[in-house]
Amino acid sequence: MANEYILEMKQIEIQFPGVKALDKVDFNLKAGEVHSLLGENGAGKSTLIKCLTGVNHKDAGQIILDGKEITPTSPQDAISMGISTVFQEINLCPNLTVAENIFAGRQPMKHGQVNWKEINKRAEELMLRFHMDIDVTRPLYVYSTAIQQMVSIARAVDIQAKILILDEPTSSLDDNEVKLLFEVMRELKAEGMGIIFITHFLDQIYQISDRMTILRNGHLIGSYNIDELSKVELVTKMVGKDMDTIFNLKRANVDPDAPYMLTASHIGIKGSVEDVSINLKKGELMGFAGLLGSGRTETAEMLFGVKGTETGEIKKNEQTVNIRQPHDAIANKIAFCPEDRKRDGIIGDLTIRENIALALQARRGFMHPISRKEQDELSDKYIKALGIATPDAEKKIGELSGGNQQKVILARWMATNPDVLILDEPTRGIDVGAKAEIQRLMLEMCDEGQSVIFISSELDEIIRCSNRIEIMRDRRKVAEINGENCTQQDILNIIAEGASALEEVKA
Amino acid sequence: MANKTSSKRQTFWNKVFNPNFIMVYAAILIFLIIYAFGAIMYGNVGFTTLRTFINMFLDNSYYGISAVGMTMVLITGGIDLSVAAVASLTGMIIAYGTGVMGIHPAICILFSFVVGIGLGLLMGATIHYLNVPPFITTLTGMFLARGVCSLISRESLTISHPWIDSLASWKIYFKHYVDGEWVKVKPIAFINLNFILFIAMILIGFFILQRTRFGRNIYAIGGNEQSAKLMGLPVGKTKVLVYGFNGFCSVLAGVAYALYVKSGWNLSLQGGELEAISSAVIGGTLLTGGVGNMLGTLVGVLLKSVIPTLITFNGNLLSWWGKIATGVLLLIFISIQTFITNYTARKKI
Repeated sequence: MANEYILEMKQIEIQFPGVKALDKVDFNLKAGEVHSLLGENGAGKSTLIKCLTGVNHKDAGQIILDGKEITPTSPQDAISMGISTVFQEINLCPNLTVAENIFAGRQPMKHGQVNWKEINKRAEELMLRFHMDIDVTRPLYVYSTAIQQMVSIARAVDIQAKILILDEPTSSLDDNEVKLLFEVMRELKAEGMGIIFITHFLDQIYQISDRMTILRNGHLIGSYNIDELSKVELVTKMVGKDMDTIFNLKRANVDPDAPYMLTASHIGIKGSVEDVSINLKKGELMGFAGLLGSGRTETAEMLFGVKGTETGEIKKNEQTVNIRQPHDAIANKIAFCPEDRKRDGIIGDLTIRENIALALQARRGFMHPISRKEQDELSDKYIKALGIATPDAEKKIGELSGGNQQKVILARWMATNPDVLILDEPTRGIDVGAKAEIQRLMLEMCDEGQSVIFISSELDEIIRCSNRIEIMRDRRKVAEINGENCTQQDILNIIAEGASALEEVKA
Repeated sequence: MANKTSSKRQTFWNKVFNPNFIMVYAAILIFLIIYAFGAIMYGNVGFTTLRTFINMFLDNSYYGISAVGMTMVLITGGIDLSVAAVASLTGMIIAYGTGVMGIHPAICILFSFVVGIGLGLLMGATIHYLNVPPFITTLTGMFLARGVCSLISRESLTISHPWIDSLASWKIYFKHYVDGEWVKVKPIAFINLNFILFIAMILIGFFILQRTRFGRNIYAIGGNEQSAKLMGLPVGKTKVLVYGFNGFCSVLAGVAYALYVKSGWNLSLQGGELEAISSAVIGGTLLTGGVGNMLGTLVGVLLKSVIPTLITFNGNLLSWWGKIATGVLLLIFISIQTFITNYTARKKI
């Protein structure tokens, strides 16, 4: 039977407690195409993928692979059917060698024994195909996230799958690595593999995809050829609103005479960040730009007392304060939302309500418990205000999508009603709509007289929201520029060349 | 990614200094230091003889056998507290079966295997499918086995059966060639069935862990169980079988112990599970799972038996000093492990 699709998913429905995660969704994939699956966080992309890989089970609908109906019951099952997945979080075993991670479960055998020589040889060849000349006999954990990501892709590719699913594979890769990955994807495509590609980077979608399918709130919006939709149309379809309404954000209005909320003069730690001075006004949004490792996070950690400063002093409301540990910072109404939410932020097994109440409880001290009623009110208020997509406040936070988790953490700190809120990469790994939402929330806080420090790697975000932008380079603050009329290029120049470029900006 | 050009196949020395082996080296080193200390202090009274060395194997063979299975359980990230109780139960079954019921000991041993492996599989299934923490599950298993021990008899039962006697007294003497004939070395040294069982189990354990898919899956599960599942590895089956295998080891340890003391007692081997666990940990097995190997466990067992030996030779110290020394050793080793784990976690390429 001639069939142009290797995979057809018809009228898929999945019901989660309280939410219909997928409602009559169709999806199909041709051999030899890269098909992007798009949608906001919580739109149902991951659920669809998990249904295909046997992690979640569908309540209705059909999955047809190569003309035969299949019902994958476990990832193992899906792999044996030729559906191979690279998940966003690296799903490998850090204690095993690179080679073994690639071949685990299907090691070549010789005389009934695992053939280590063959494993290492083939793994080396495979990694070379990805232009990675690395020692495959070393344990995985010694390598960077980017290399680990490549290893998981190598594993998925080597399984000889018919369908390869890449769920946000590029979020930890740099430009060259992405280029490399795309090269490999094109090769695989030429070999007739069908690739499902999920990413939040719109540019990448247009670089590599042949077709795309858009989901929103568990519904299918449509499937399109890549040249059918412009980026603006695509985003509009994804979020269901116009681009303009999303990005129609107004910078915070700072009174020039506003008092200083938080000043730091020449703070630093030997060998880490040295000599950083900032003065944050009431109601101001201050952006921190700079490359990864330029000292942005370290500065935030000093202000919050994660790392005690060795030099300089910090003033809060123009009074010197001693911040040696986070507890001191919280007592001074400073809040910090760390970068890696999985590691430092959320407590996955607690409910949304409990996660929101955490910081407030910590500030009040355990002698003054927050009553259940207060907690309920608090969580209901923020679920509504922040548009957290959940049936109720009693859902475990670990079950939410990334963007919604981020909103809960934001709610946690907003609930403490801080004077200064420090956000480290709050928009990383979340989609356009949720990003705009979080930016809007930050600006609202400023309007209410709170001050925000906003750290981000995405310059357009920083420029869109910040009143002033602090630029970090090589663990030093090299410049401070006005956010009102600067361009990405200005900031890039300063990051690249240091403060000397600032003169040119001013000139 | 900076190493695109610089990184090559790791050198011999790199391989030798694999952080996973450092613990084994440390164990070997400390063993050698203690042994050398003993040799200097008590060399003149026979500390360095072959007999003393071999006795370190003989006196702890049953713990060694149990440590083989325990190492695997620990590598999966689990723990098994039931091993000593199961070994004790084996002794009771043999003693009661042969002494009171008049059954041939071979059948008693066979029956013990059925019970021990069955209990192991059951605990493994409970841990995996019902998601009950290993600590709780195997604690239950321990109480269960101990309870049955006391149900059989609350008094010590002697095992006297010619078949058992012949197994227990079977020996191979070390001989050397003097003046045209083979004579036993002086002082007399020999290996027995327990010695052979111990070494054989270490070798079998080594083979399983390094050369079979089953063994490699054990490491993968210990590294990250969720990943192992998503990589399509048979996580459930592996875990259940590991506990089953450990049940086998427990029974075998019980048989070895029965041959050693020739009796069964419901309270024998109290705390023995901790001996097996600490042997594995001293040998470099991480309690958090994912790391460990049989060579290390072998050294761990030897290291734990060289201390009592030293105390025996001293003659003045109370044997409880052995426990204290083991405690100190364990503390040192766990500190080194934590240090290495933290160090390697920070050093990425």
